[in-house]
Amino acid sequence: MDGYTQLAWYLALGIALGVVVLLIPQLLSPRVRGRQTESTYECGVDTIGSSWMRFSISYYVFALIFVAFEVDILYLFPAALAYPESGWRGFTEVAIFLVILSLAILYAWRKGVFLWQAHRAPQSRSTISESAGAETVR
Amino acid sequence: MPDTVVNLVDSPALGVLIGIAGVMAALTVNVLFLVWLERKVSAWIQRRMGPTEVGPFGMLQTIADMLKLISKQLITPRHVDKPLYHIAPVFVFVPVVAAASLFPFDEHVSLQNLDIGLVLVFAFGGLGIVGIFMAGWGSNNKYALLGAMRAVAQNISYEIPLILSTLSVVLMVNAMGDANTNGMNLAQVASMQHDKGFWFVLVQPVAAVIYFIAALAETNRAPFDIPEAESELVAGFHTEYSGMRFALFFFAEYSNMFIVAMVATVLFFGGWSGPLLPGAMWFFLKTYAIVFVMIWIRWTFPRLRFDQLMSFCWLVLIPLSILNLLVTAFIARAV
Repeated sequence: MDGYTQLAWYLALGIALGVVVLLIPQLLSPRVRGRQTESTYECGVDTIGSSWMRFSISYYVFALIFVAFEVDILYLFPAALAYPESGWRGFTEVAIFLVILSLAILYAWRKGVFLWQAHRAPQSRSTISESAGAETVR
Repeated sequence: MPDTVVNLVDSPALGVLIGIAGVMAALTVNVLFLVWLERKVSAWIQRRMGPTEVGPFGMLQTIADMLKLISKQLITPRHVDKPLYHIAPVFVFVPVVAAASLFPFDEHVSLQNLDIGLVLVFAFGGLGIVGIFMAGWGSNNKYALLGAMRAVAQNISYEIPLILSTLSVVLMVNAMGDANTNGMNLAQVASMQHDKGFWFVLVQPVAAVIYFIAALAETNRAPFDIPEAESELVAGFHTEYSGMRFALFFFAEYSNMFIVAMVATVLFFGGWSGPLLPGAMWFFLKTYAIVFVMIWIRWTFPRLRFDQLMSFCWLVLIPLSILNLLVTAFIARAV
């Protein structure tokens, strides 16, 4: 059995364990039900509306930059493995790659993503990047 | 290179069973111990006593807590998204078990010895984030959703400096070794530090500091504990979870501390290498020393504001780690 099959077994047994651990209390615990037992927790007052609502877009912008970054960084692992044989050309390529990556941060910075201004510009009806950009370039 | 348990007992099924039993035992003892340690250290820092009643120095307190959690009723709130709500605790728990099995805790024995161990550890960390979001969204609770949103944004952001800082170690290991060296294999990184006779924290201090800061954020520890800031979000993404389901989240959280500390031990502090004592002992001593520093920091520093947190990651840590990687690559080429 090679290492990755073993790892799959660890995952499978982990799932089984997790389920078993959640079954034990079903056997041991009391079952009481009051009027409020199953209500959503909101500091003691009744909940107002559902929680599945629209959410600040700033979070999604981070998710977008992250996806771009993370995938690119994974490419650097094979590059790091092949680095010793690659000579100065390897260094130049890694450097160019990293500089282009850094441009992504620079772009997002200029657009004001990191300043978290979405919440402070309620009057703006334009897209988040535009409104934040207009504010931050100043 | 360490032998895996499966090779040692010469039976795949038995080896895997021993392995998972070992991982579970180690993680459970670790969680019970860490919760006690955290309470004692925080008490000591705040000039209180901490737990004293159950067992010597209150050491059995967490076992009593665990028994209580096992005997608690599992409450499912009325308005939750049932599939997500039920799967989330297991989804957070499983990657932790798998990731914890990847570490070379001793010179001679390990549970797994995979060529992409380092990447797998981070991959399982990423899976845990999905579980956190399932919990937050599935709970249909405003605190839970806010906590989950913050947790996801923070975790994915800090994963980048985390990986970039380890990447410079991987690159350095490859540059220092021969053609067969693989810097993503955790056992090789540890044994290389043993052979060279120095810890990589000495040659990669910037990477070590960046790694440590990012690891604090990855585990949602103060000063980066905004996803579960008690004073504003009740308990963050696991507000609606109680009993054993809550215990699974708690288990994953403390195990994650342990895992990031183990990564730091392997990459920067020589892994099992050390004089006199057996390798496994050194490994866990170093790991717990790092965990202790993490606890110490939690009870010393106040929380950051969320926008400060994010801009610190993107404008300080990531550029710094990219720079560190570039310098490492340059030195590896020039020397």
